[in-house]
Amino acid sequence: MTEAKSVALAKHEKVATSGKSAVRTEKENEITKVLTFLIGDQVYGIEIPYIIEIIGVPHITHVPCYEIPGFIKGIINVRSKVVPVVNVRACFGKEEIEYDERTCTVIVAHENVSVGLIVDEVLDVSSVTEKHLARTPDLNQVNNNKFIDYILEMNDGVKLVLDVQKLIFDHDVAF
Amino acid sequence: MIYCIIVIILSQIIMKGRNKKMSKIEPGMEAMLDAYLFESSTLLEQLDEILLRTEQAGTFTEEDINEIFRIMHTVKGSSAMMGFESLQQLSHKGEDMFFLIRENKIEDTAFVYDLVFRMSDLFKAEIDLIQSEGEYEPTDFSEIIKELEHGADILSGKATGDVSSANAANTSASPAASNAAEEVAAGCIAVRILFEHGIEMENLRAFLLLNKIREETEVIDFTPEAIETDSTTAAYIADNGFIVTFRAEDRDAVQKTLETALNVESIEFIEEAPQESEKVVPEIAKPASPEIKSVDAVKVKAPEPVKQAEPANPAAVHNNAFGGAGGGKQSIISVNLAKLDQLHDIVGEIITTESMVISNPELDGLQLESFHKAARELRKLTDELQDTVMSIRMVPLSGPFSKMNRIVRDMKKALGKDVDLIIDGETTEVDKSIVDNLNDPLMHLVRNCMDHGIETSVDERVQNGKPAKAYIKLAAVNASGEVIITISDDGKGIDPEKILDKAERMGLLFKPRSDYSEKEAQSLILMPGFSTNEEVTEYSGRGVGMDVVKQNIEKCGGTITVESKLGKGTSFIIKIPLTLAIIEGMEIEVGGTIFTIPISMIKQSFKVTNDQVVRDTQRGEMIMIRGACYPIMRLHDRFNIPSEVTDFEDGILLLVETENKSVCLFSDKLIGEQQVVVKPFPPYFSRYNIKAAGLSGCTIMGDGSIALIIDVANLIEN
Repeated sequence: MTEAKSVALAKHEKVATSGKSAVRTEKENEITKVLTFLIGDQVYGIEIPYIIEIIGVPHITHVPCYEIPGFIKGIINVRSKVVPVVNVRACFGKEEIEYDERTCTVIVAHENVSVGLIVDEVLDVSSVTEKHLARTPDLNQVNNNKFIDYILEMNDGVKLVLDVQKLIFDHDVAF
Repeated sequence: MIYCIIVIILSQIIMKGRNKKMSKIEPGMEAMLDAYLFESSTLLEQLDEILLRTEQAGTFTEEDINEIFRIMHTVKGSSAMMGFESLQQLSHKGEDMFFLIRENKIEDTAFVYDLVFRMSDLFKAEIDLIQSEGEYEPTDFSEIIKELEHGADILSGKATGDVSSANAANTSASPAASNAAEEVAAGCIAVRILFEHGIEMENLRAFLLLNKIREETEVIDFTPEAIETDSTTAAYIADNGFIVTFRAEDRDAVQKTLETALNVESIEFIEEAPQESEKVVPEIAKPASPEIKSVDAVKVKAPEPVKQAEPANPAAVHNNAFGGAGGGKQSIISVNLAKLDQLHDIVGEIITTESMVISNPELDGLQLESFHKAARELRKLTDELQDTVMSIRMVPLSGPFSKMNRIVRDMKKALGKDVDLIIDGETTEVDKSIVDNLNDPLMHLVRNCMDHGIETSVDERVQNGKPAKAYIKLAAVNASGEVIITISDDGKGIDPEKILDKAERMGLLFKPRSDYSEKEAQSLILMPGFSTNEEVTEYSGRGVGMDVVKQNIEKCGGTITVESKLGKGTSFIIKIPLTLAIIEGMEIEVGGTIFTIPISMIKQSFKVTNDQVVRDTQRGEMIMIRGACYPIMRLHDRFNIPSEVTDFEDGILLLVETENKSVCLFSDKLIGEQQVVVKPFPPYFSRYNIKAAGLSGCTIMGDGSIALIIDVANLIEN
């Protein structure tokens, strides 16, 4: 469980126990914000605190080492820092597609380790309130689940919020 | 010498009433702690060095004793200043002993060594303790202090525990002072030294100054006394000045010293010194609190803020903080390593940025004569800047090497083996960060040589036709961008059979036993968890050692190999890159990917025609150059990069050479020579063995793209 999530859940409980006496605005109920993006047709999200910046797809230098799994595309130069890039599509076992003008690299960081995530298209930033939270099904047959922190059910559809820690530190492929 | 560190004194009045249970040090003194720790450990190392030297020589020269005395004294003074009472006491007792040796001209000092070595070890341990995180609880040194007192008694000829002799030496700062005080008359001159207003800690400044004067002349008396132990004297010195009486014939030299000394406001020669000194004694005996107040008052009155660290003179930055014996001007400053690292990083960025500007693609095809002239000038200067920064960080290996003297000495006694330590090439310089990483591996290897390498009995050696006295040799040489450190002994060598037996038992063999060559078998001792010694000894044999050695060396980009001949001896060879950060590289292209090869590795580059290439039966390709045959490695095949250039006539060959192998690398084309700042791969990659793939790091090039740096040795090996 990420720190942000535990905070989110703690707030969640607090809100639940404090009763419904006060009328709250949406803003007050906000527990976190997520950046949403597309992989194929599915909307994914990453909590804002993890995000450093969003850039296009720069020139990627491939690191020729047979041990490195295919979804790690290589390294890029982000303002004189060398950052590895992961193709999220490939990481999720989906077919890779050509990079186009909508393809973005989302630079995320956790504990001083930065990784660039190549996504199909960045959508927007959604405000998450406790009513959006849906619990991850425990007995889930979908292997993707291991990278998913929690699921949001929003008016415009279901969004899967990724667990950045696992994305960064767990290199096993998701499929 | 290192006194100038004290310059970093911040505005803090010397503390009184030290609690036993303090959180390391008084608030406000933290800034000084680093300086104190550095100074003390440096001095203790010097002490060890002198002791080792004199023990070998069998006698103390007067100079040695004075030096030891000075070290003890400084350590005592600064410990007192920092409020480390136990350390102050400890060094005080040590000082007493040398005071007696000096005064009584004692010849038989053999027993002193062990005692003083132990004292210095305890002292170092205590310093480590202070340095470590968490609450600091002063260690009880009463045992060693008793022994030191006993030693002092023996020296003073009183075998029974008469402590008065030690007490008599208490005011040892001026051993001759009390007797000489009355004699002050003809031939003596007194000077009143006034310090700058509001600088604080006047007593310690006076003490340091006194030490400086002592280099010039014989100090007969000084007022107030007990300056290094009684902080209340600070206020007295601030108000009345510090009075030193010394021999008149050295007046000019002393005057010069004083005039150039730090923070000295003015000096004034006075005639009637003795009277003054009588007045002082009751004054400083007064209770401390009013004195402190007066210092406070001075502080408030001080109109200008206190200047911190004022250089004593235009100090030439010198990397070797340990050299340069007394006398002459201070030309060494100590710098925090973190600052140097920062400087180093900035220089790295400057070089990258410089390349970005000078090789900017937007300049292509433009006629820019004066721009290129200016660029060349800039390049020259940044080169110089880089060299200078590098040289600041370079320290000789003599530090870690000479520490081994001590280990060999101790183990010689403990194990009863007669061993000589031969040191060669200790002036070889390497990056400071490397030296720090080398200490532990060296210690471990030397211990291993002592413990396992050298035969247990002399008879065994003589039977094998070897001299009774064994040797361990530490050697360092500089060879083509690498420092090669060899630790060798002429002991019994490593028996590959024994190693294989053991490895088999422990399940460390990965292929049939018969497949292991002698060298491979011996290399097994570097594997984690391998220890051939059945018994765990005090010094080695826990099986973690060699593994840690290997790790430490790999941490600084080095390699370690072992060479051994059964019955003849063993050598451990450590190879470490001279510098880690900036290399001169040749950029080449392979299928769109840019690689950098360290220039130092490249012997030549050349074009070939297809008929020059020799093909063997297994599709291996070779080429003859000046009568020697070299294998060709196609980089696009090696790195599995699709490339359009597969015909030798379209590409270019680079002859690269490592210690024992040469290979021709085939690449698409040469791009050019560039100085590159080596960046390690991001930590994200740490779980993959990129090094084995033949890549040592990456670098950001002028156009912002990333080039991969080829690790030639690993490329060829694997």
